[in-house]
Amino acid sequence: MMRLVGAALVAAGTAWLGFRAAAALGCRVRALEDMAQGLVLLEQELELDGPPLPELMERLARSGRGPAQALFRDCRQALDRLEEEPFPQAWHRLVRARDELGRAGQETLMPLGDTLGRCGCEDQRKAAACVRLRLAELARQAEEERRRQSKVYQVLGLSGGAFLVILLL
Amino acid sequence: MDREQSIRAYVQAAGALPQRLRQEALMLPREDQCRAEEFRLRAGRPMSVVLPEGEQVLGRAPVHFRELEQLVEIASRASLHAVLDQVRRGYLTMAGGHRVGLCGTVSLREGEIHSLSRYSSADVRIARQVKGAADPVRDALCPGGRLTSTLILAPPGMGKTTLLRDLIRQVSDGVGCRPLRVSLADERGEVAALYGGVPQLEVGGRTDVVEGCPKAQGLMLLLRAMNPQVLAADEITAPEDVAALRTAAGCGVTLLATAHGESRADLERRSLYRPLLEEHIVQRLVRIRGTGGQRIYTVEELGA
Repeated sequence: MMRLVGAALVAAGTAWLGFRAAAALGCRVRALEDMAQGLVLLEQELELDGPPLPELMERLARSGRGPAQALFRDCRQALDRLEEEPFPQAWHRLVRARDELGRAGQETLMPLGDTLGRCGCEDQRKAAACVRLRLAELARQAEEERRRQSKVYQVLGLSGGAFLVILLL
Repeated sequence: MDREQSIRAYVQAAGALPQRLRQEALMLPREDQCRAEEFRLRAGRPMSVVLPEGEQVLGRAPVHFRELEQLVEIASRASLHAVLDQVRRGYLTMAGGHRVGLCGTVSLREGEIHSLSRYSSADVRIARQVKGAADPVRDALCPGGRLTSTLILAPPGMGKTTLLRDLIRQVSDGVGCRPLRVSLADERGEVAALYGGVPQLEVGGRTDVVEGCPKAQGLMLLLRAMNPQVLAADEITAPEDVAALRTAAGCGVTLLATAHGESRADLERRSLYRPLLEEHIVQRLVRIRGTGGQRIYTVEELGA
C-alpha cells in the first residue's frame, strides 16, 4: 500500500513539474502582452495631453495590468528620488527586476528609459510604439513556443512520472 | 520676507540640484543662505552662489555636464515635454517659483529655436517675494481707495517686477484699497511663476494669469476672456504692447505696467511710450531709484 501511495506521489510530482513548466511559458506570453498593452496606454496618454511623467506613471499604474502596472508604479516612486537616481538609471533597474518579461523583453524595454520625459511627446510616443511592436513580436514568438513546448513539457512530466512508477514498482 | 522664510526658499531652490551639489549648497552658513540670490553652475567649474556682494565658489569639484542634465531632470520632474516651450526660451520654472536659466547648444528648425541640449551652464534663481513692497506707494496710486492706471519706471534690477507683483496682490486682495479683478499677462512667468497652474508667488485671490504668451496677445486674450477690472503686464517694450494697452484703456480697464527708464522726460523722448502719456492712458508714474542699498519711490501724477 505504501509503495502504491509513494508511486502515486512521484507520478503526481513529475506531472506537476511538467504542467508548471508549461504554465510558465503561458505566463511569459501574458506578461509580454500586458506590457505591450501598457505601452499602448502610454502612447494614448502622450497623444492626449502629455502629462508630466509622475502623473503619467500614476495614471498608467492605475489602468495597467501585470508587469506593466508594477513597473509604472515603481517608476512613480522612483520619480520622487530623482536627486539620488536619474530616471533612465531607475528605469533600467526596475525593468531588470521584472523577471516575468524574460531577458529579451527586458532588453527591448531598456532603451525607452532614455527617451521618456527627455524629449517632446511625439518623439516619446514614436519610441514607445517601436518598443510595443517589438514586444508584440516577442509575445507572438513566446506564444508559438508555448504551443510547441507546453505539450512536450506536459507529456514529459507525465511520462517521466510513469517511468519512475514502473521503476519503483 | 523674514530670515526663516528666506532660508526655506534657499533650501527649496537647492532641492533642484543633484545630490552632491545640493550638499555643497547646504554647507553655506545660514546667514549667507538667507541673502543668496542664485546658484551658478558652469560645466567644468565649481558651482558658485551669488550673494549681494558677488559670486562665491561653493565646493571644489567641477560641475559635470551630466549634473546639468540632472538639474533639468529634477527641476522638470523628468518631464521635459511638459516644459519644452519654456526650455526653448532658455528657462524653466520649478515649484516655489524658482527659475532655472539654461545655456547650451541650440538647434534651429525653420529659423526658430527647436531645442536646447548639451547644457553648458545654468543658474537657479531663488524666488523671494517681498510682501509689502508696494506699501510706500499704494495710497498715492489709489486715490479714493481705487487704483488708477499706473506705469512703474526704473532701470533694470531696481525691483520693478517685485513692486508690480505686490501691487497686483494688494489690489486683488483689497489691501488698503477696493478689491479689483486683476488679469495678468505674465509673458516670461516672472511675476506669478505658474507651476501646475498655481501661482508660486502670491498675486492675490482675484487674479487671473496667462503665461508664456506674447504680452500684446495675452492682454487681448485676457480682455476678451476674463472681463478684467485691472490689466497688468511686466516690461512694455514693443509697439504691439502699447497698442494693446490703448485698446484696454478704451474699454475702461485700469492698467498696471512696467517699463525700463529713468524719468518722465526719458519716456517723453521715446516714441514708443509717448502715446501713453499724451493720451493720458496712464495717470500715475512710479519711479524707483536706489541709494545706498535703499529703494526710493517717487509717485508722479500725470493728469487725467
